[in-house]
Amino acid sequence: MTLLLQQITTGFMLGSIYVTVAVAFTLTIGILNFLNFTIPAIFMITGMIAWAAAAYGFPFGVDGGISWPLALFMGVTAAVFASLIVERFTFRYLRIRHGDATEHAIPLVSSLGFLIIFENLILIAFGSEAHSFPEKFKSDFYIGEIIIGLPQLASLAISLVVVAFLSWVLKTTSIGRALRAIAENPDTASLLGIEVQRIVPLVFLFSGLLCGVAGVLFVVNYSDVSAFMGEEVGTKAIAAMVLGGLGSIWGAIAGGLIVGLLEALSIHFFGADTVNVAVWGTLLIVIIIKPSGLFGASRIGKGKL
Amino acid sequence: MGGYVEGIIAILCINLIFAYGVFLTAASGQLNLGGAGFQAIGAYVAGVCSNSLGFPIFFSVLGGVLGAGLIGFLISFPVLRTRGVYMVLATFAFALVVSGIILNTDFLGGATGMVVAAYTPVEVLIWVTLLTILLVFWLMASRIGLVMRAVHDDDVVSEIMGVNVRGVQVFAFTLGGALAGLSGALYAHHYSFIEAQYFSALLSIFVLLFVLIGGTQTAWGPLFGASFFTLVPEVLRLGDTEWRYVIFGILIVLMMIFRPEGIITRTLVHRVIMVFSRSGGH
Amino acid sequence: MNDPILQISNVSKSFGGLKVLEDVSFNLTPGQRFGLIGPNGAGKTTVFNILSGIYAVDHGSVVLAGKDITNLPIRERIGLGLSRSFQNIRLMPHLSVIENVLMGQHCQSSQITEMLKPINWMKGNKWKQRAMETLENAGLKVDPGSTVGELPYGVRKKIEVVRALMSKPSVLMLDEPAAGLNARETSELADFLHEISTRNVTLLLVEHDMNFIHALCERVAVLNFGSKIFEGTPKEVNRDKAVLEAYLGTSTLEGSDAA
Repeated sequence: MTLLLQQITTGFMLGSIYVTVAVAFTLTIGILNFLNFTIPAIFMITGMIAWAAAAYGFPFGVDGGISWPLALFMGVTAAVFASLIVERFTFRYLRIRHGDATEHAIPLVSSLGFLIIFENLILIAFGSEAHSFPEKFKSDFYIGEIIIGLPQLASLAISLVVVAFLSWVLKTTSIGRALRAIAENPDTASLLGIEVQRIVPLVFLFSGLLCGVAGVLFVVNYSDVSAFMGEEVGTKAIAAMVLGGLGSIWGAIAGGLIVGLLEALSIHFFGADTVNVAVWGTLLIVIIIKPSGLFGASRIGKGKL
Repeated sequence: MGGYVEGIIAILCINLIFAYGVFLTAASGQLNLGGAGFQAIGAYVAGVCSNSLGFPIFFSVLGGVLGAGLIGFLISFPVLRTRGVYMVLATFAFALVVSGIILNTDFLGGATGMVVAAYTPVEVLIWVTLLTILLVFWLMASRIGLVMRAVHDDDVVSEIMGVNVRGVQVFAFTLGGALAGLSGALYAHHYSFIEAQYFSALLSIFVLLFVLIGGTQTAWGPLFGASFFTLVPEVLRLGDTEWRYVIFGILIVLMMIFRPEGIITRTLVHRVIMVFSRSGGH
Repeated sequence: MNDPILQISNVSKSFGGLKVLEDVSFNLTPGQRFGLIGPNGAGKTTVFNILSGIYAVDHGSVVLAGKDITNLPIRERIGLGLSRSFQNIRLMPHLSVIENVLMGQHCQSSQITEMLKPINWMKGNKWKQRAMETLENAGLKVDPGSTVGELPYGVRKKIEVVRALMSKPSVLMLDEPAAGLNARETSELADFLHEISTRNVTLLLVEHDMNFIHALCERVAVLNFGSKIFEGTPKEVNRDKAVLEAYLGTSTLEGSDAA
């Protein structure tokens, strides 16, 4: 029983990483109607750059490596930078010319291209093995018989704070209003005087930042990074986003925690191999039966939907 | 035939058939990001037919095709009720479910993979590929192909024109799944070993991407796309290095900016034909 | 002989809380040229979409040649003789001119044996010949193999009308067919449509160009805010108070009374 509770607690903590990446996905889909498949790679870049910086002072080559806070910061910066590159070369060129069935997917396909570019560049630079982040963050405390890692708790707290902050920005600030106007209807927003071209990069900035935060949390919790760390986390974050409802930030939070829980439970009851079937199976069923997810349809529906 | 060349031709054949499978759904307006799932179904059904049921290869492959086609047919109904990004995600999730199920089924070899008892030489692959190419060219040249492309361009107006849009989409999905399954069944019998890890999300992504780059308006598109992306890296001696994929990724980004319909469009084919018919004289 | 070919009876339609059509009724007789006019947002295109089957009615019925088509699936309507064009041209952008026109004929031969025949490989394809002839008769001098998306506006508008004619309709609905055309093109179109109607095709036109309506239509119905406010000949429509009010506003009406 304790083991089960332990698994559930761990699942929740794991879920916090999924939450952050899921919010990155849901933000871009909610505001820009764009499923950004590069996000898993951006998440991975954070981890890899942070490791390389801490391990040997990438990209300058520093003896003994760069201190861990700075290394983590560099990771986040790399993530934001990568995200803005994606904006520059995918979204900025989107023009709905004919409105036929596959046109909505043009930015999606571009983002797949960037996924491949980034992942392989990292593979070329750092190889395919897993690496360990030099600084270890280990300090546990107990609630009853349940072990809770301080880093894990910090993850949960940080991700919720970041997401709450984002929510606040969207609700109250003028930038937030502009973003919501764009989500509603980019043409109308433009007519209302919102400089869409200047605000859209902000979405990419935010989602890059979120990936960066998630990457930092991952490094702090698990230490091991590899060029493939984005694939598992990224695809589960997509599942979390769909579960919660595309475009809904609260949905992404709920979805992320549920996926973490689902993962922990399937490992406990059925073994580690069943995780994927459990998560993807649930995702498939949700898409087919209630695509709007838990928190209802949001901004998806422009054009061909 | 040298071993190296034979190897290239084999993978080219399999990629071509696979590409045509994904092409059929894309041509009628649906993006299938789960092609590897159908390929896996074809491979494993065929493998089981050869191994456990002792079928001759022809029937095993047929079994793979029918199995994948049947699943394509069944899954098309719920998937086609979704739209846009949801459909992409549904097909994506489908492929992941398939590989997850295979990983968890010991009978299919689980994570260790399955050895396939029978072997087909590359000549068979070549013949089947040629037949497939002919089939798709004929399909696209027929009224069915026209209707598929009309549905792609405007499904509402197609419906108004009397087209059974849902029927066309189910047909494309089923036949597309069957062709992807065919490529899997042939793969299983040529390489004599299959494992779930091969039929990954990345494989689905790759084949969709080179179909989109080749062009989804004509049957020339996947021919060009699959050939280009299978052969050119070999020619450039990039082999299996990561640089091959980086260049691939860059090409995709550039294509989506400058020519999202793909390299080979209907207009291009038309213009080429016009040039030939003019110079061919009257 | 004078049984109406199209009967729209008491049709109402709301979207959410917004009432777009309220109790709209009018009939068309065979071979008639009927205009449907009204300010923007009056519900004219909604009527068309209901006739096409894209929207379902909340109340009311639509009867075509004696058959109730109110709830008939979209794709079965063209086979009964109902064909249309669209306000914003909706040709298939990546198909060629001839392919678009051929799609208009689809309903005429959709058995599986027909569907399997290659279009270009067979000589003497009657189906294709008819399409080529119709294009020529309409005065369209374009390369039939050229992609539709690249052609000028006026040409595409014409192709859309040709496409709508291919199904040998008994009722042809045209949504703003003269929009964006210059004076010469508009008068050519009016002649073209006039000629078509003599071959027992009933025309239902939505238009804003009043000269065009006057030149072509025998009868006009006026919609405003989803209700039919008048029906009569074009001359009568011009003089009706309610219509003038809808288009011009009350203050101008007083001015015109004085004049």
